[in-house]
Amino acid sequence: MNNVICRVAAMLLALGLSTEALAQERTAVRQGFELKSGSGRRVIVFRPKVSVGAQSTGGLFEPNAEWTELARRNMNAALAKQQASLGNTIVEAPDASGDQALLVEEYLNLFDAVSQAVVNYQFFVGNRLPTKKRDNKAGVFDWSLGEGVRDLPGARDADYALFIFNKDAYGSTGRKLLQIVAMLGPRIAVKAGEHKGGAGLVDLRTGDLLWLNADFAMGGDVREVDGAEKRVKQLLEGFPGSEATSAPAAVAAR
Amino acid sequence: MFGPVLLAAAALLGSPAETRKVTAPPPQPYEGVYQPRGVDELGLWKMDDESESQLARSRLVVRDEALTSYVKGVLCSAVGAERCGSVRVYVMREPSFNATMSPNGTMRVYSGLLLRVRSEAELAAVLGHEFGHFERRHTLQRFKAHRSGTDLLSWAAVLASMNSNPAAQRSFGDLELSVYGSLLRFNRDNEREADLIGIGYLNASSLQPQAAARVWQNFMAETEASAMARGLKRPRFDRVAYFASHPPEAERAAYLGALALPEGSSRDDGAVKYRAAMAKWLPVFLEDQIGLNDFGGSEYLIESLAADGWTAGLWFARGELFRARGSQRDLIHAAEFYAKAIELEQGHVQAHRGLGLSLVKTGRPSEGRKALQSYLSLAPQADDRQMIELLTSSLTETPQ
Repeated sequence: MNNVICRVAAMLLALGLSTEALAQERTAVRQGFELKSGSGRRVIVFRPKVSVGAQSTGGLFEPNAEWTELARRNMNAALAKQQASLGNTIVEAPDASGDQALLVEEYLNLFDAVSQAVVNYQFFVGNRLPTKKRDNKAGVFDWSLGEGVRDLPGARDADYALFIFNKDAYGSTGRKLLQIVAMLGPRIAVKAGEHKGGAGLVDLRTGDLLWLNADFAMGGDVREVDGAEKRVKQLLEGFPGSEATSAPAAVAAR
Repeated sequence: MFGPVLLAAAALLGSPAETRKVTAPPPQPYEGVYQPRGVDELGLWKMDDESESQLARSRLVVRDEALTSYVKGVLCSAVGAERCGSVRVYVMREPSFNATMSPNGTMRVYSGLLLRVRSEAELAAVLGHEFGHFERRHTLQRFKAHRSGTDLLSWAAVLASMNSNPAAQRSFGDLELSVYGSLLRFNRDNEREADLIGIGYLNASSLQPQAAARVWQNFMAETEASAMARGLKRPRFDRVAYFASHPPEAERAAYLGALALPEGSSRDDGAVKYRAAMAKWLPVFLEDQIGLNDFGGSEYLIESLAADGWTAGLWFARGELFRARGSQRDLIHAAEFYAKAIELEQGHVQAHRGLGLSLVKTGRPSEGRKALQSYLSLAPQADDRQMIELLTSSLTETPQ
């Protein structure tokens, strides 16, 4: 029996499967936080890091320059379009240089790391840390980037910062074939493609994470204009203070 | 086109008597700055461009224009101005012995490398090797090899798991070992090719090509010193481990020595200029090295730097190294070394501090107090002023 388990584990390893759960929590709001639509708060948006590629049969990420460029353009356009419906004043992050640019880079990385930790240790039910189990029962969502966020360029004139990350790997034909054969034959579930994305709202006074929407199985093909709009809508789903029915309105306004 | 390379590669495999005659071929005529071709290479470059712009905003990069342009200059002196134009050099504050070159022409030079090489020629040997990886598109080749290998294994894993015969599992295991083994061997062959190209640049340059072998000899000596201080078995430099990413050091030292142009040995190696260029950063690089908690390796490096004469900075670094290990006998030695640093340079602020702290712990509190007081008078704005004052006042309150 043990032997079988070992063998299956070895196979899973060889196939490069991830242990991420298929169904898990995707969004959370800090306890007591409320942002009313039209309350005149200012939100700085840091432009998302976008990388798009394919996933080889063996599961390697194959970067694709053309797709990345397309996705970046589509995502930025979709974001600009959605901003109007977020319910408060959205400001683009100022172009930083020198030490300020270093700081922005550090906080982008820190946000990535913190949201990764939220997904792994709070959203993923089976992997919850003991403290987060307790938090979750009490409806507490307590994560922070620290008060240093006050020094970010533009932080003084804004209330919140919106961070976004995005990574797509589309399953190659080989990967999809492997998926089918593995499912039909030995009944091993092979994941084809990986679509990670997340958006988070951070308090620029305290550094607290106020809202996070992170999903490692996102929809929408970012290589296409419509797909990118769907993705951005998913990323900003449940954004505090946004107008619920805004999406169709934005489309109509065009 | 590959004629000379193959010839020299064959020489690598040949008997030692033959290798002595064949030196590395001079670099082939430069084909101009190359642009990425095909989906894979375009993709790698794009990803690399992104990572380079992050690097440009990273705090790990040493922001010293003079140092960066000096290092770039050394690279140019090896590979020539034409090739050099396609490279951006970033000096990273990272105490390990390494330099990397990525597909789009980003060269990362670790401070640990700058601390370990002793001359422009030695630095050029390593940087030329890295440039060889770039010129031959090794990252792309490795990516493709890795992809085909893992593709094959994925299919094999699925097929093997459909077969309940234990023999199928065994052959899957064998296949896995041989695929990974051949990927790793491929990496090592890339390294050998880059070595060959690198020494070719040195042969054709005005620098001494014999320096390339010296880099590896010094590295082996350091590794040995480090292992000895940790009480480990003497490391072997002649065996290829299954997971080794590079050829064994002894092999590299031997063939690099053999491929070096014998006439080149009379050339200048630029050691004096190198030392002068590094002088400003040496204390910082040494501090990072001491932080690695590698007593034997650090002691070896300090002593080899001192081969050209002990300076206040080197005595101080040695004092810091011994004080960090912190046994009573280490502290007694450390005090001695700090004293020597002060002897050479009265105003070495940190040496007074180290001396005081070492003396205080080795039963000489009154001398220690004096040293700490001179530290504070030399650096009245010191960060740890309050802590040091607390320490000195506690020393006065308990008369011995």
